[in-house]
Amino acid sequence: MNKIKKLINYMDLRKVRFWIQIFFFILFVYGTYLFVDLGRNLPIFSCGYNRASGGNCYFLALQHQLARPWWRLFSYASVGVLTGFLTFLAWFVIFNKAWCGYACPIGTLQDWITSFRKMLKIPYSTYTVEQYRFLKKMKYVFLFIVIIFPLMLGLGLLDGEWRGAFCKMCPGRLITPLFSGDFSQWTIDFSNATAIFLTSFGIGFTVLFFIGSFVKKRFFCFYCPMSAMHYIFSDWALLKLKKDGDKCTKCGDCYNVCDMQIKDIADDVKSKNILRDDCIFCMKCVAACPEDDALHVDILNMKIFSSTKGGFSKRMEIIKDDK
Amino acid sequence: MTNKRKIETPLQRQNRHKAMECVAVLDKLKNDFDIKLDAMGYFYDLCEKVYIKKESIYSKSIKIGTLCLQVPSEIIYALDAVPIRLCNGFHTDDEIGSDFATSKACPLVKATIGEFNSGNFTDKPDIVVSPTTCDQKSKSGAIIESFGYEVYDMEFPRTKESEEAREYWRRSVRRFAKDISLVLNKKLKRGKLKEAIKKVGYAQYLYHQLNELRKEDNPPINGNDMFLLTNAFFFDNIDNWTKAVEKVLEEAKTKLDNNIKKNSVRVVYTGSPPIFPNLKIPMIIEQSDGIIVADETCSSNRMFNDMVSVDEWFLYDMVDSVADRYLKGCTCPIFTKNSDRIRRIIDLVKSHRAEGIVYQAFAGCQVYEMEQRSVLEAMEKEGIPILYLESDYSPSHLGQLTTRVEAFIESLKNRRRKKV
Ligand code: SF4
Ligand code: SF4
Ligand code: SF4
Ligand code: SF4
Repeated sequence: MNKIKKLINYMDLRKVRFWIQIFFFILFVYGTYLFVDLGRNLPIFSCGYNRASGGNCYFLALQHQLARPWWRLFSYASVGVLTGFLTFLAWFVIFNKAWCGYACPIGTLQDWITSFRKMLKIPYSTYTVEQYRFLKKMKYVFLFIVIIFPLMLGLGLLDGEWRGAFCKMCPGRLITPLFSGDFSQWTIDFSNATAIFLTSFGIGFTVLFFIGSFVKKRFFCFYCPMSAMHYIFSDWALLKLKKDGDKCTKCGDCYNVCDMQIKDIADDVKSKNILRDDCIFCMKCVAACPEDDALHVDILNMKIFSSTKGGFSKRMEIIKDDK
Repeated sequence: MTNKRKIETPLQRQNRHKAMECVAVLDKLKNDFDIKLDAMGYFYDLCEKVYIKKESIYSKSIKIGTLCLQVPSEIIYALDAVPIRLCNGFHTDDEIGSDFATSKACPLVKATIGEFNSGNFTDKPDIVVSPTTCDQKSKSGAIIESFGYEVYDMEFPRTKESEEAREYWRRSVRRFAKDISLVLNKKLKRGKLKEAIKKVGYAQYLYHQLNELRKEDNPPINGNDMFLLTNAFFFDNIDNWTKAVEKVLEEAKTKLDNNIKKNSVRVVYTGSPPIFPNLKIPMIIEQSDGIIVADETCSSNRMFNDMVSVDEWFLYDMVDSVADRYLKGCTCPIFTKNSDRIRRIIDLVKSHRAEGIVYQAFAGCQVYEMEQRSVLEAMEKEGIPILYLESDYSPSHLGQLTTRVEAFIESLKNRRRKKV
């Protein structure tokens, strides 16, 4: 038992994560070819517009379901909406935001763009505290579009042109199909003014996605409404990111490596549950923390991956292994 | 005629006095304590070599003298120079320095100034780097400069919570890296810096391993030896140092089981840094049947505690990460708030199962004196007994200090009995 524990705590997270991400990327982007179909309620941007997708982003279904007239939304006919939501929740509850750090193809793609930047030896950029505070609200604006717009549509407050509004704006729709050779999404829909606006926004956002994730780690995740949605339910998740503030020296090592610039991860020594709304649960912070058990990943209060001085030193190549 | 005495020059006198201070402490270290490690011999010899025989350690390398632990040694090593920390613990030098600062100033600062004034170094620094930490240290840089040394002021913020402070310090470190590399006419290279980070990291790792052993029921190394060993890191060649500590560690591990059961009172030491040969207070503690199981000082724990973590192994990220290590986790009392220092002390007390704390402030060290109240209050709240002492480098008041420490240790023993 102790041996396995040490093996995990001393693992090279970078490598492990790299392979897990490749696995899920293939699964979600080329699933159909492998006869995999994980349904339409996944808590990641595995886009339904990609025909080869091995399981779809919940937002496509959700926007569709919420857009029905209200009398139908609250009738028996909507059992499907509820089961859909429960399936989404069930998926989410297992891995929490680790879906983002490990499984989301759009997340993985951003990490690959980061690797490409590293190959060119170009430094990354960060937001200032003020920019950070302001911009982080954007994901809730998008979530509003995902959830409230369809409801307004059902009420008749918005007209049909706004159907599936967020999907039209989403880079997921333009990017993921590319991997199965489908470029058809890269067009502006000229059928009406709203469509022109939404689809051009989509193209603009996608271009920004590529530029942004080149200069800033996980640029898009910062604005992702799925991340906001996760956060609402993250307290119920089985997998948790926890902190023992007494053991933390506030050295900032975790903060230094955090792709999402989450300052609380280092400075908050009071919270036990240290998962924040921007977090992608990549666990880089746990791997970079040199204090024994200051940060740990738990399943049902059982530590499965903890920060350790030895593991830290090994990952930093300071030691080969310790006795 | 033959035994006609030569007149001693001031320099010879200084050397003789310093040697005397040195011998007195080394003798005690070698003979007065039950816990002994043969591998410590390296460090006793090293002190003799440097302070008594005056043998230089570095003949060829360019030496960067530092006046505080905040100067990133990783960058200095990466530029093929060596850092030598010149915080000084000699009473002889303290007396010389008194003429240049107020007599009420901190003895460490005065002693450092004194040594510079005499110019009597075993390894004379080529450049001196002075981080603007406390007032007295900051001002001492200018005094030292007036003696004709090249002094580089390195700006250090006095808060550490904000992003502004972090960025300010990162800039300071980047500029330092640039400026020093210009002066040395050497380019800072990625591979070199990586290697240096790992090298210093390994030294820290060894320190932590040793510290781990001090959590045991019978710590195999006493606090005074530990202070000597960490002090040696100020000036010793890092490769030799790590090799010697590896040996100490190895031997200490073998001593874990066959140690004679002793019931010394476990103490955490905090406050102004004991620097060889001023091991006065730690010595009194361990001579009064206490054992220092951990410390929170800048001559030991603070120097090794926080390690560098790097995300992208390129210069841009490495330099910034190195900068963070010296600011973010630092528990120095010069910062506006001190909750981190209090948390560190409590953590050390708990993890090392200490029974009490000795807090020493150098008479004249404002920040440690001023922070005393808040630390005492916090410890009272936690129910941890703490003794506050003021002392300096002079041999006077020894009796009085001893009485107070002994009484404190005795009270901790009583407390232990009551608990049982
Ligand atoms: S377009 Fe975006 S929100 Fe819509 S299904 Fe695709 S990934 Fe999800
Ligand atoms: S936050 Fe990033 S990783 Fe998570 S669902 Fe959104 S795009 Fe994917
Ligand atoms: S790396 Fe660990 S010790 Fe350092 S600030 Fe983060 S949680 Fe605290
Ligand atoms: S807080 Fe930790 S797990 Fe979350 S994004 Fe930052 S590094 Fe990753």
